[in-house]
Amino acid sequence: MTSLWYSGRICRSLCSWWPILLLAALPARAVDFSHEVVPILRAKCGKCHTGSQRQGGFSLNDREAILAGGDSGTPGLVAGDAAGSELIRRITSTDPDLRMPSEGEALPAEAVAILTRWVDAKAPWEDGFSFAGNTYEAPLALRPVTLPAPSNGRLHPVDRIVDAYQRAKGVPTPPRCDDATFLRRVSLDLVGLLPSPAAVDAFCADADPGKRQKKIKELLDDDLARAEHWMTFWNDLLRNDYTGTGFITGGRKQITPWLHRALVDNIPYDRFVRELVAPTDASRGFIDGIVWRGEVNSSQTQPIQFAQNVGQTFLGINLKCASCHDSFVDRWKLQETYDLAAVMAPDTLELFRCDKATGTFASPGWPFKELGAIDGAKPPAERLEQLARLMTDPGNGWLSRNLVNRIWAKLMGRGLVHPVDSLRTRPWNEDLLDSLAADFVASGYDTKHVLETICTSEAYGAMTPSVEGHPDGKDYVFHGPLPRRMTAEQFTDALWQLTGAAPAKPDADVQRVKPDPAAPRPLPPRAKWIWNNQAAASPPGERLTFRARINLLDPVTHAVAVATADNEVTMWVNGTKVGHSADWGKPFVEPIGGALKRGSNEVLVVAANADAGGPAALKAEIRAILLGGGVTWIASDDSWEWTATLPDAEGKWPGGSEPSDWQKASVVENQGTWAPSDAAFADGVRGASGPQPMVRAVLVKCTPLMASLGRPNRDQVVTSRPTDLTTLEAIQLANEQALFETFSVGARRWLAEHGADPGALVPTIFKTALGRLPTPAEATAVREILGESPTESSVADCFWAVVMLPEFQLVR
Amino acid sequence: MRSRPTDRARRDFLKSLSAAATATLALPQPRLLADAVIEHPGATADAIIVLWMAGGMAAPDNLDPKKYKPFEKGLAVADCISTFPAIPTAIDGVQVCAGLEGIASVLDRGTLIRSHVQPDLGSILHSRHQYHWHTGYVPPQTVACPHIGAWMARVLGPRNPTMPAFINIGQRLEGIGENEEIKAFTTPGFFGSEFGPMNLPFPEEAALAVRPPKGMEPGRFADRYQHFKKLVAANPSREFTSDYHQESMLRSLDNAHRLLSAKERAAFDIALEPKEVVEQYDTGRFGRGCLLARRLVENGARYVEVTTEYIPFVHWDTHERGHETVDRMHKEIDRPIATLIRDLEARGLLDRTLVVIASEFSRDMITEGRPGSKATDQASSPKDFLLEPNHYGQHRHFTGGSTVALFGGGVKKGFVYGKTADERPCLAIENPVTITDLHATLFTAMGMSPKTVFDIEGRPFYATEDGKGRAVEAIFGA
Repeated sequence: MTSLWYSGRICRSLCSWWPILLLAALPARAVDFSHEVVPILRAKCGKCHTGSQRQGGFSLNDREAILAGGDSGTPGLVAGDAAGSELIRRITSTDPDLRMPSEGEALPAEAVAILTRWVDAKAPWEDGFSFAGNTYEAPLALRPVTLPAPSNGRLHPVDRIVDAYQRAKGVPTPPRCDDATFLRRVSLDLVGLLPSPAAVDAFCADADPGKRQKKIKELLDDDLARAEHWMTFWNDLLRNDYTGTGFITGGRKQITPWLHRALVDNIPYDRFVRELVAPTDASRGFIDGIVWRGEVNSSQTQPIQFAQNVGQTFLGINLKCASCHDSFVDRWKLQETYDLAAVMAPDTLELFRCDKATGTFASPGWPFKELGAIDGAKPPAERLEQLARLMTDPGNGWLSRNLVNRIWAKLMGRGLVHPVDSLRTRPWNEDLLDSLAADFVASGYDTKHVLETICTSEAYGAMTPSVEGHPDGKDYVFHGPLPRRMTAEQFTDALWQLTGAAPAKPDADVQRVKPDPAAPRPLPPRAKWIWNNQAAASPPGERLTFRARINLLDPVTHAVAVATADNEVTMWVNGTKVGHSADWGKPFVEPIGGALKRGSNEVLVVAANADAGGPAALKAEIRAILLGGGVTWIASDDSWEWTATLPDAEGKWPGGSEPSDWQKASVVENQGTWAPSDAAFADGVRGASGPQPMVRAVLVKCTPLMASLGRPNRDQVVTSRPTDLTTLEAIQLANEQALFETFSVGARRWLAEHGADPGALVPTIFKTALGRLPTPAEATAVREILGESPTESSVADCFWAVVMLPEFQLVR
Repeated sequence: MRSRPTDRARRDFLKSLSAAATATLALPQPRLLADAVIEHPGATADAIIVLWMAGGMAAPDNLDPKKYKPFEKGLAVADCISTFPAIPTAIDGVQVCAGLEGIASVLDRGTLIRSHVQPDLGSILHSRHQYHWHTGYVPPQTVACPHIGAWMARVLGPRNPTMPAFINIGQRLEGIGENEEIKAFTTPGFFGSEFGPMNLPFPEEAALAVRPPKGMEPGRFADRYQHFKKLVAANPSREFTSDYHQESMLRSLDNAHRLLSAKERAAFDIALEPKEVVEQYDTGRFGRGCLLARRLVENGARYVEVTTEYIPFVHWDTHERGHETVDRMHKEIDRPIATLIRDLEARGLLDRTLVVIASEFSRDMITEGRPGSKATDQASSPKDFLLEPNHYGQHRHFTGGSTVALFGGGVKKGFVYGKTADERPCLAIENPVTITDLHATLFTAMGMSPKTVFDIEGRPFYATEDGKGRAVEAIFGA
């Protein structure tokens, strides 16, 4: 790749860049240094006179270098005098020995005209720009920062710096956003969830001037919700997933249980990093990377992946280029990457440049030797310990800067340093970065503290500025927090909050409830195995329908159905199919809160014996938590009834006529016959015995919809999510089947809870989804969707329309 | 070698870039290297259909016949390379295997590259080779590599703004073995999902992908969007109309609904074809996929891939009973491919549509390789005798020489390029064509420079590895 980095840049043909010049030259105006001058110098002169190249002793790297001239001693240009400038003389010369470029075509007249105008205009240069590339690097240790004096009584350290910065830039201080906007923003940012309508009302009504700080604290102290929101961020950064490449051949390990616990407990970040870099079995999945079957490129061996991932995730340095050769875009050397890799490598590492052996060897080390060295004589585990200690030394400003910058980027829509993976880029405010980082270190590396510090600032709580074009990287000035698109996980969680369609169980192996020895033990299952006779005798292929009825005095807040049958079972609750299992050892466990209602409820179960015959029996139980906290259940026993008449696949009676031959079911004599399924059944029922926190999207395997909304395949470390909704994603949002069904489930639930009354539905939908009431115009538009008497489809469509609003999909 | 017009579409390309810029300036996404001036070749094809023989199509039993012997107990492997006899084709003196009579009859419309080679990636996992073939890079990589379809979608854009530029037919991504590995390359990679594949695993259900969800009648679907637009108009945060994020989101929703209500939607519905046409194509999912591909290209798709579908040990992934399986595969692919070529020709589309038949590698005879051995070792393994019909067939992975067929899209008609040895190991012995160079050839035909380069995480990332791909110019021309 070495030489090609340059060859790709060289313009070889006039016609290929002609249009660029035409486009650029059209309006007659002052010369645009970045867009007109730089491309010409780079394309036509760059190969010999930029970066480390200085043929004839002449470098174009920066203005000073050009003015200094080359070996001849003649200045490269005289500002304001093109005719008297060597640069112009050379590019217009007809003498082949003098003419530049010395090879290839002469510069086209338009290019000469631009450079001439530029020199005549005194050769303006962009501050900080250099053809040599980025030369900025913050000192290793955090710089002491003196806070500017507060203005307008704004005492928060972040505001003192931001206010001074904005004054200097002539940027107005953005006003505070309103309370409802703030609550929605801070809830999505800190715990990843929409605030409930009650929380919105309470927050807006609260007259306490400290209510924002109070709310931030409250959200941060919701350990589980906070942890599970930020787990998305860390799964991306630590390349952790529950399924993906590598697992198929055992070449990859999860760190899920460790990570979940570390986040719930908010362990200090220095410890967090130490446990990942010098890991236990529970946390070693990160440094082990992905071991692919077969041979891999030498830049993707396990130790090199380690160097790349540790560098990127924790230090914000990009060693990927430097895994094949010395980086062209950064200061990192191949040797540094290999030395870091060698820390974990069990054997001596030979350096490979662009996949070819070099004959030189790595010695375990890390990039910031000022803080200390790694003893190569020690075994890898001890070297990793040393590395972990060095990395988390408070003298290593890169560790703390990197994390506070990543957090700032998440909360504000753009990093203090941008892009976030290149910490050698000048931050838009060095004082702010270093003061946040120093505060983080002083707090004992408390990540919650960083979140609290940023979120309590007026800068965070301000209105989002209106952005005309896309906020591009170059001339960024902080105007206020940028609107951000919800992550796939935030979007999915929000949908599940709205519709109650979250899955019953996570895929991730996590302990979501801290074991509480004082809590009452959940009640064991009450269901019995039943059939139409005590002996469970059944002809091959027999199918029977069972039913149970229950009258509920209160609405249901949470319910789970668990059922199994030898050999197959399907359950409907009030005409909605809720579950199916065809393996008696594996009961289905389904949340059915939306299907049960206050008043009378009917449970229908079709159970089938195998075609091969044998005994047959059914066991089913529904546990429901009622509004007010009461628990009730429906469990299979001899109060259930059976009939040989079968409903159709939708759970409806053929011809609409209900059978009249219901008979009493029998509890089967030998309950032990199906003992192997008892544990799974009991687990399912116990899971229902208290309202569990909603299963979060981060805890389930990636769905096609989440993948399309930007949840990454975690083969690599991922540090940012797509910011724009694409057309292919929009097609999914318009017609993806599972999404459509989620809206239908939600509609049924809403109709059951609020009735088919537009007057009740309209404000509640807005409050829940957007955290505000509709304007009169919006209320009219929504009523039009709902119709006079809302139906399942009109409510589902109304939800869809609200959820598709940019206001919903953006955190703003 | 023929001269190639340059810059035919240069201006349009620049224009499309500036239009695309609104959508792609999103910060973490890559941009064309600001200072890279790429010279794009003039295109000889506007659309491309890749017919993907997933799982390793053995050249000696398909497009590159060698010495043949029918099965008999005790057959010496050394005496037999092909398990199908050779038949003549529409090109004088060029043969393919019996079972491919249809393809044989249209070979005069295309070129065979009989010297395609792949690297030996050691202990071979099909999906790694497929990743390599589809992205041009051997996994794992430090960044998520785009599929070649995504490259074309990103650089060339859609031919018809309503149609998705990159459509992938026939591969399920769930419920099959190695599905995570397949997903890893069926992706836009760092380009972001705007340039990703529209996946249509079942051709007969493709129409559903551009229809309202099941359970929602079209009238309700259209109303829902109209209501949504009214709600947007009433939304108070519309005061921030200059808000970039809001506008781009609404634009995408609008694009999506445009496709979902456009006439091009019909292109996805193969049931609209006359019965006799469907019958001509329909040998199964692959055949129906070929028909769908024709309809999509006709309506402006840019890159369409139709796969026989990769499932470990199924279809072309023959690890035993190879002869029997390949016989079945011939019946599945031969008629639809020949029909596709004639059909495109009859509609005047073949000249500007490049059709490619390719696979991740070839195979050689004998039973499954020994654990830990490399593909090249396997090809020169000790002589064996076949005692069971199960072992008659191509069962070992072989990366030393396979055949790629190209039709239309500016390639020579009735031409053969490259050659493999007639005796084992049947290595490419003339003009070997690597994946990098094959991709360069496909990109070049489509009017895209193999040196096209993007800046990703500060690193130049090229359409062909390190920008080194060189098109096989010899295959272009009349």
